[in-house]
Formats: sequence, C-alpha cells, structure tokens
Amino acid sequence: MTDSALHAPAGLERAPRARFWHDLSFWGLLPSRLLMGFALILPIFIIAAVSVATRGAYGGFTWDFNLAGYSQILFNEGWTGELEFTPQYLLIIGRTFLLAGATTLICLLFAVPVAYFISRQPASRKAVLVYLVTLPFWVSMILRVYAWMIILGKDGTLPSLLEQLGFPAGMSFMFNDGATLTAMVYTAMPLMVLPVFASIEKLDGTLIEASHDLYGDRWVTLRRVILPLTAPGLVAGAILVFVPALGAVLEPTLMGGGKQMMMGSLIQLQFGGGRNWPFGAAIAMTLMALVMLFLIATALRAARREVRP
Amino acid sequence: MKKYFAATALALCFATSAQAAGELNIYAWAESISPALIEKFSKENDVKVNVDSFTSNEDLLTKLQAGSSGYDIATPSQHFLRVMIDQGIIENFGASKLKAYENIEEKWRNQWWDETQDYSIPLAYGTAGFVVNTDQYKGATDSFKYFFEPEGELKGKIALLSYPDEVIGAAQLYLGVPFCSEDQAEMKKVLDLLMAQKPSVAVYSSDNIASRLASGEVSAHFWWDGDSLRARKTGSPVKLAMTKEGLVGWMDSYVIPKGAPNHDNAVKFIEFMSTLENATEQMNFYSHSSPMKVIEDKVENTKETAPELYPDVPITFSRTCSAAAQDLVTRVWTQLLQ
Repeated sequence: MTDSALHAPAGLERAPRARFWHDLSFWGLLPSRLLMGFALILPIFIIAAVSVATRGAYGGFTWDFNLAGYSQILFNEGWTGELEFTPQYLLIIGRTFLLAGATTLICLLFAVPVAYFISRQPASRKAVLVYLVTLPFWVSMILRVYAWMIILGKDGTLPSLLEQLGFPAGMSFMFNDGATLTAMVYTAMPLMVLPVFASIEKLDGTLIEASHDLYGDRWVTLRRVILPLTAPGLVAGAILVFVPALGAVLEPTLMGGGKQMMMGSLIQLQFGGGRNWPFGAAIAMTLMALVMLFLIATALRAARREVRP
Repeated sequence: MKKYFAATALALCFATSAQAAGELNIYAWAESISPALIEKFSKENDVKVNVDSFTSNEDLLTKLQAGSSGYDIATPSQHFLRVMIDQGIIENFGASKLKAYENIEEKWRNQWWDETQDYSIPLAYGTAGFVVNTDQYKGATDSFKYFFEPEGELKGKIALLSYPDEVIGAAQLYLGVPFCSEDQAEMKKVLDLLMAQKPSVAVYSSDNIASRLASGEVSAHFWWDGDSLRARKTGSPVKLAMTKEGLVGWMDSYVIPKGAPNHDNAVKFIEFMSTLENATEQMNFYSHSSPMKVIEDKVENTKETAPELYPDVPITFSRTCSAAAQDLVTRVWTQLLQ
C-alpha cells in the first residue's frame, strides 16, 4: 500500500477546497438537477402533502392536517352509517398487483426466448431485429390498444378468421381480463425484450460450452449458468414492465370494459368526480410505497446474490 | 384526440394571424363553438381569439380555482356554474342588462344556477339517456326499466359511461330518488339496481361510443342527445329513448372568470354569439338545443328532422351535490366496480 492510500479519505485533506460553484461539473449538472428536483422530487412531496391535507367541498384541499385520506383506504362509513372495515380498496389494489404481476411473468416467458434468438443471429440481422422490436414504440400507445380492439372485437380479425375455420359466428374476445392482459403484455413487451437482450448478448458462449463439458445438461446449464448471468437484465426488464403496469388505465378501460376498477382509474375518480383529492393522493402514496418495497426487495436480493461466493 | 388536434390547429391558426388590436382567450368544451363564427368575430373586431378545450367540468373548475388562468370566457355546465358563483371565482358582468339577455328564451332565464342572471349567458343545452341500435333492438324504449332491468335480447348488450355522474342521475330518475340525495337507504337502492344490472352490462366506457353502438357490439348505450343525432345523420341505426321518467339535462353557459385580462372583449363576444343569426348558426354547428332565440326557418335540426333535441318528456338538470351526497355517489360507483 502506498502512502497516499493510507491518507484516505483524501477528499477531506485536499486543501484548500475549491468553492463548489467554481467547479465546472456543478454548473454542468445543474440543469439536470433542477429538472429532477422540480419535475420529479417536488411533485412527490406535493402529493405527500396533499394526502395529509383536508379535502375541500368542491375538490381542492385546505392545509389542515388530516389523516382521513389514509384511514379511508381501510375504514369507511357503511350503508348502515357505522364506520366499518371496507375491503373494496384492498381488492382493487390486490387486483392491480395481480394484473401487473401476470403481465410481467408473461412478458418474461416470451422475452427470454426472443432475446436469446436475436442474440444468436449474425450482427447485421441482429440490428434489424432489435429495430423491429422497438417498432411499436413509434406508434402512440392508444393506437396500439385500438388496434387490438380491431383484432379481438366483434367482426374483428380474429373472430372472422375463426368463423372461416368453422367456429360459430359473432364471437368477441373483448371486455374481459384476458383482453386486458393481451394488450398490456403487447404494449410492455419491448420494455422487457431490450434489457433481457442486452444481458443475454453479453453472455459468453464458452461458459455454456464449459457447462456442457462438465456434464451439465440443458436444464442445469439454463438454471446454473444462463439465468444467474442474465439475472440483472431480467430484473431490469421486470421492473420496467411491472411498475408502469401498476398505473395502467387505458388497457383495463378500453379492453377490459372497465367493469372492474384498477388503481389508476380509482385515483382518477377521486381527483375528478369524487372531489376527494386527499384520498386520491393517499392512494397514490400507498401505491408508491408498495412499489418502493418491491424495488428495495429486488435490490436487496440482487445485492445478496453478488456477495455470494 | 382528433378533437384536441382540431382545437390546437385552430388555436395555431389564430396565433399566427397578424397583429391584432385585442385578444380573447376562450376555454370551452372541445369543438363546441363554431370556428366560422370565431373567425367572423375575430375579423369584425380585429381581435386575436385563442381557443383551448377541456373535457370535464372538474378540469375547468380546478383550473379556475387555481386562479389567474388567463382565460376571458369559460363554458361550465349549470351545476358547476353554481359552485363558481358561490366560490366567487367568476365575474358579475351584469349579464341581465345585456342585449344577449333579451335573446334568451323566457323559460331559460333566471334558473336556479344563476337566479339574477348576472353571471352567465347560456349557450347550449341537452340531455343524456340511453340510445339503442334499432337494427338489433326492436322492443320498447319508453322507460329506463328496459335499460336498468334488461330482459331478453338486451342482456349482455348494454353499455354505460365510465364515470358516475349522469348514469347515477338516470338511475335516480328511474327509482324516484332525488338528485344529490344524502339518504343512505335511498342511495343503497341505486347501488342495488346497478349491481343487479351489472351482469347484463358489456362495458363501462365513455370512449368510442358511436362505433360500438353502430357496429352492434352493444345494443343500448348511455349517451348524449346531440351525439346520437349526429350518429343518426351519418347513417347509424340509432334512436334516443324518450323515457317517461325523464332525461338527465345539462346546460352550458358563457361565464367570465375573475381577473379576466380581456373583460370587454369577452362581453363583446358573448353579445356577438347571442344575436339571433349567430345563435342559429351556432346551434346548427353544435347539434344541440339552443336556449337562445333563433331564426326558426334557418334551424337545420327541427322537431321533424331531429326529434332527439325536442324531448316530450321532462328534463331534470344535474344539481350541485354537497360533499356528503357526492361521497355517496362515489361510494356507489366504487362498490359497483370494486
């Protein structure tokens, strides 16, 4: 070990320290810091503040501390006029998580083989295939959902095709959970394929050969070599798909027929016609807290995996 | 989306026009005011007119509550107009002394939402009820019974809007429950009715109604009178049900937000839109009923060609609910879709 290393942390001793505004990187990073502060962090604090404010009679709120927004998630006045435990919001929250989880799982199942296939192509074709995966992003999301309505709806592409094959006429696959899930998986798929592809592409083929040389069969190779090495990509893809899926409003309303509320539409209702902003903000904060827990859990697991010898 | 685009395009057109003497910023329902009339006003008075559009009364209220919106004219519906007066966020511009006031049909003057008629001049009114596809459903439509308690061919072919307002109102009309009821037992009846109807409902959606109804994906849809009229005129086999329990009504009015930067131009514009000739042109453009006096033989949508706009059943206008009543409405809706 050298002398200077012994004197670490060096930063404290570097004398005299330049004032931070003389530092070019401070000014260079300032725009992005301001953008982050005003566009991301400040709004979250505002939502947090509104969630503990008192509702106004006609929407809006007053700055009086009130936890009614949070207690309403669990307890409400029942039809008999007494305060009782109301599971309806928990049901909506649970359903939203289930839908987002199912979307993530299905995306994973489809994305891994697709990404693996692309990564094993020659470089020129690889570029074209990756480009094709991103192609749906060029079209607005609402149009992509409408396209699915045309495919699955009455007299749509799929029902007409089935009719040609002898199935009964007039079938419709719209307005159910399957339709919602189809559209959600479709819109989220590129978000999963790209990170998974990035990590699979870096996978060293010789490691797979080595596994086979050591009598690992295909299953063992997948489980002990390929999955651990591509885990960061899988986790990144899962987060990119899961988190936005929690806030989905469009697909459940347009494809699912809006017969069952999701968290997104619940929040929208509270800020709109419901005129109960603090409650809407409290649900949004709860959603955020749950996502945070999910992310922390994933990060901890990833960290543990890295430490393991 | 198309509506936003059209509004933006319109706004851009005027934004690029030559330097004008004055300005006027209008905040109105998407595609609700005749662009031809706006252009005419703009030319005649050398005023640059900007039009932005909103899609819900709540959006409008929120924006005006925040203050200094920069708008000179807004067009809230009656129940929100009342709130705006009570909250003091719109101007008393002495509407009852204007020429425009004389042009309001007598029966629409001094309504409960603006008793003195000093804060507003109405621009359009209409109704909401259920519309059927007449190719698919030939049965009776003279009661909400066929919609809320469907039998036979309507089962599974019914669609409601994705938000509670008018739907709950219609259910209240059917059950004889007053609008904005704060009575839990009464609202429980509304919930029970909607819950029993739910298995027959295909979709709760406010988007894409015209094509869903025309294609026969559903046979009955909760909808607006003017939209139903426009769909029928373009060849869709649709009919607005004249339900004996009545229809849910709305009326939009011009108001001037407090602190409007171009107050005088706003009054000028309201007067301009309320002349016999222009009110007629506006009515023909918007395909809704006009609360203003119009030139009868220039009206395109007459009683014969557009029965949708001339209901012979009572119209009950949506009220301004108290927070307690609104909570009951929200609770019914959340439990229905929980």
